[in-house]
Amino acid sequence: MNVLDVTDLSIDFPTARGVVHALADLSFSVARGRRLGIIGESGSGKTTTALAVMRMLASPGFVSGGSIRLGDQDVLTLPEDRMRRTRLRRVSYIPQGAMNSLNPVMRVEDQLKDAIVAHEGRTERDALRTRLADAFAGVGLPEHAGSLYPHELSGGMKQRVCIALGVILNPDLVIADEPTSALDVVTQRQVMQTLKDVQERIGAALILIGHDMGLMAQTVDELVVLKDGVLVEHGDTRRVIEKPHHPYTRELVASVPLVGGESFLGTSAAAQEITRSRKDLALLEFENVQKDYAGITALHPMSFSLSGDEPRIISIVGQSGSGKSTMGSIMLGFNPPSTGRVLFEGRDIARMSPQQSRVFRKNVQAVFQDPYACFNPFYRVDHALGFPFRRFGYATSDAQVQDRMYEACQAVGLDPDLILRRYPHELSGGQRQRLIVARALMLNPKLLIADEPVSMVDASLRATILKNIYDLKDSHGISIFYITHDLATAYHVSDYVMVLYKGQVVEAGPPKEVIGDPQHPYTQLLIASIPWPDPDREWGGTTTAAEDIAALDAMDHDAPTVFRGDVPGFTLDVGK
Amino acid sequence: MRRFESPWMNPKLFCGAGLLLAIVALGIIGRLFWNLDLAYTGAAPLKLPPVGFENLRGQEGAWTYPIGTDGSGRDLLALIVIGAPNSLFVGLLASLIGMSLGIFLGFSAGFIGGRTDDIIRVLSDVMITIPPLLILVVVQSAWGDVSLTMMALLIAGFVWQSPTRLIRAQVLSMKQSGYVQMARLSGASTMHIMFREMLPNLVPYLFGSFIANVTTSIVTAVGLEVLGLGPQRIPTLGRTIYEAINAGALIQNLWWWWGIPTLLLGLMFIGLLLINLGLDEVSNPRLRKLQ
Repeated sequence: MNVLDVTDLSIDFPTARGVVHALADLSFSVARGRRLGIIGESGSGKTTTALAVMRMLASPGFVSGGSIRLGDQDVLTLPEDRMRRTRLRRVSYIPQGAMNSLNPVMRVEDQLKDAIVAHEGRTERDALRTRLADAFAGVGLPEHAGSLYPHELSGGMKQRVCIALGVILNPDLVIADEPTSALDVVTQRQVMQTLKDVQERIGAALILIGHDMGLMAQTVDELVVLKDGVLVEHGDTRRVIEKPHHPYTRELVASVPLVGGESFLGTSAAAQEITRSRKDLALLEFENVQKDYAGITALHPMSFSLSGDEPRIISIVGQSGSGKSTMGSIMLGFNPPSTGRVLFEGRDIARMSPQQSRVFRKNVQAVFQDPYACFNPFYRVDHALGFPFRRFGYATSDAQVQDRMYEACQAVGLDPDLILRRYPHELSGGQRQRLIVARALMLNPKLLIADEPVSMVDASLRATILKNIYDLKDSHGISIFYITHDLATAYHVSDYVMVLYKGQVVEAGPPKEVIGDPQHPYTQLLIASIPWPDPDREWGGTTTAAEDIAALDAMDHDAPTVFRGDVPGFTLDVGK
Repeated sequence: MRRFESPWMNPKLFCGAGLLLAIVALGIIGRLFWNLDLAYTGAAPLKLPPVGFENLRGQEGAWTYPIGTDGSGRDLLALIVIGAPNSLFVGLLASLIGMSLGIFLGFSAGFIGGRTDDIIRVLSDVMITIPPLLILVVVQSAWGDVSLTMMALLIAGFVWQSPTRLIRAQVLSMKQSGYVQMARLSGASTMHIMFREMLPNLVPYLFGSFIANVTTSIVTAVGLEVLGLGPQRIPTLGRTIYEAINAGALIQNLWWWWGIPTLLLGLMFIGLLLINLGLDEVSNPRLRKLQ
């Protein structure tokens, strides 16, 4: 007996510019105890499908055809009050960014109680208490967690509270919409394990919505691939990943960067030997730089020196809160270090004359994480490219600025006629991020800080954008600090990798050693926690995620940094 | 595909602006074609009704005084032609000064931060709790006669707080935004960041806040006038209502005396409200209805 049958489902969104078909003729079904994954890029209709099943489609979207059956009930014709009782009891939805959907002014146990009381009426106090205790234990949370407020819990714990809430009434179907999108790999593995355990225990069906092929391979039995609201492939996960029929699926599978294996960068044009810096001075130096925020050390003292002799890509990897973004903003001079100095070509960036400061700005540029925020919505995108170009005195005439913008766009694979003169909201995230790379290219800095440049871009575009960035080094001689949580991409693009944990460098060296054969337990854990797009490969080895996290907490924080070798032009020293 | 469909083409915005322009036009056209000397005391027969009506004495309205006259022989049309633009002028001027102050203080507080921010924030929070009418009544009764400009200045002292808070909040959040960081990376000066990157994005909020302030200012000004304060020698809508109430126009059923200025004020507020609603839709696309 299927828990959910979706037949020929179509969803339309009427807009001022005509009707958008968000979903066209989608059919699939899920049986009890099975796990189905829906994978696709942003805008492919995955969340829309889930919301339609919950009958929570946002206006003006509406179901224009097809049917949704939940067991023996027709969801689309159910009266509203019965639909309300169906939600959570028979089908529950764990929304995207669920950790932000908890009510910040209520204790989490009260939010769970609300759910029980709303569906089952007044319940005995003791019975309620045991059920809550069971629910928290079921997702691996300590009992006292219930009496806390959401802001007192970590992201992973909040996510597990949301899972507890989703399954507290033992529904037939649980829909989890990108349940781990904001979590780092270690926590992601723990949350996914929790979700799988709970789902198996209550015997419900699970629909997992996501964009990560690796996560899907490790979690679901069956896979639905959506593209622009159309189902392009549906089948057994193993079959879809090993023998994808549709070219789009093939592209999705291929776009997952792997540690080891073939580089997704392809063969690059022969690297040109470009030396643009003064030989005698290091391009960028940290001298015992430390950063504290309100008594907490975000970055422990470290020194490094990057010479400008030859362009290098240095990766800084770590979980959220490891201090990697702090390092980036210190390098950009946005955030002064608490102690120590940052030197650019031998000069302290905190003590520069306006003239020197301009030279520093000109030569140290950045690509940020969020391509949506990087453009001022008031101006056409040309402003972001042309303004710094003029400001730094590169411009000789308007025509020249125009020419350079055209060239830069073409260099990152964008059609300038389609992109320039547009407003930012008319472009996709991927196009915007490539424009930011094009901007860096136009300014031709000596150093580029790339802070998670692809984490908010669709998977199929990540490789292209990383390739664009990689080309900056090869063909323009720009050194790059690549800040990321994604070890697989760091493995491929970088010359040197630093692994940060709680503000300390735990392991550093060339990527083949550090990521290919990690020695430090933290690096080993990070790499074991990557979900591989290979159903045969065990996720995380023999230990459970909870054990790993416990081991991590018990880890000796004063253990010395494991140095795994050097590359010429970069020296790292960790002060004590 | 209509790509250039501007959100500013908003029917509410247009109706509202139309109403206000009509009041301004009344002032301009009236000055050209109507004898304004009729606004002096005793220039016309007393208490004449509008055309087509009869007053308690049985006198009929005459076309020489189309909307009637007041208790001291002033032509109401002349009073309105002079008074309506005056009320609007006080509102606009007070709001303009208040906004300028608010923009300046809000940017200073949000951008400089620290002690400056503390002082400005506390000051505006305290000021927001003080009822303006209370202070203005005291000030004006001590002052005696004031000019329109002076009254606008006094009111402006009470309408800068909310734009200050609004702009400060926006500046604080924008300061962290990606495009401001990008601008800093591009070597932009503080002035450039404030006025070229941030301010354009604030325009819809500023307009909305401005219109809300005009409304508040007019209400305050009319409130003072109806209490008999404010300019004594210049006809305003509020003063006309004050005189009507004082002369017992309500009991004598001289409805046109207080009714017509009130109607005009009502239209003015409806116009401002429509503009505000329209601006809300401009700055918040979710409120826009689908065609």
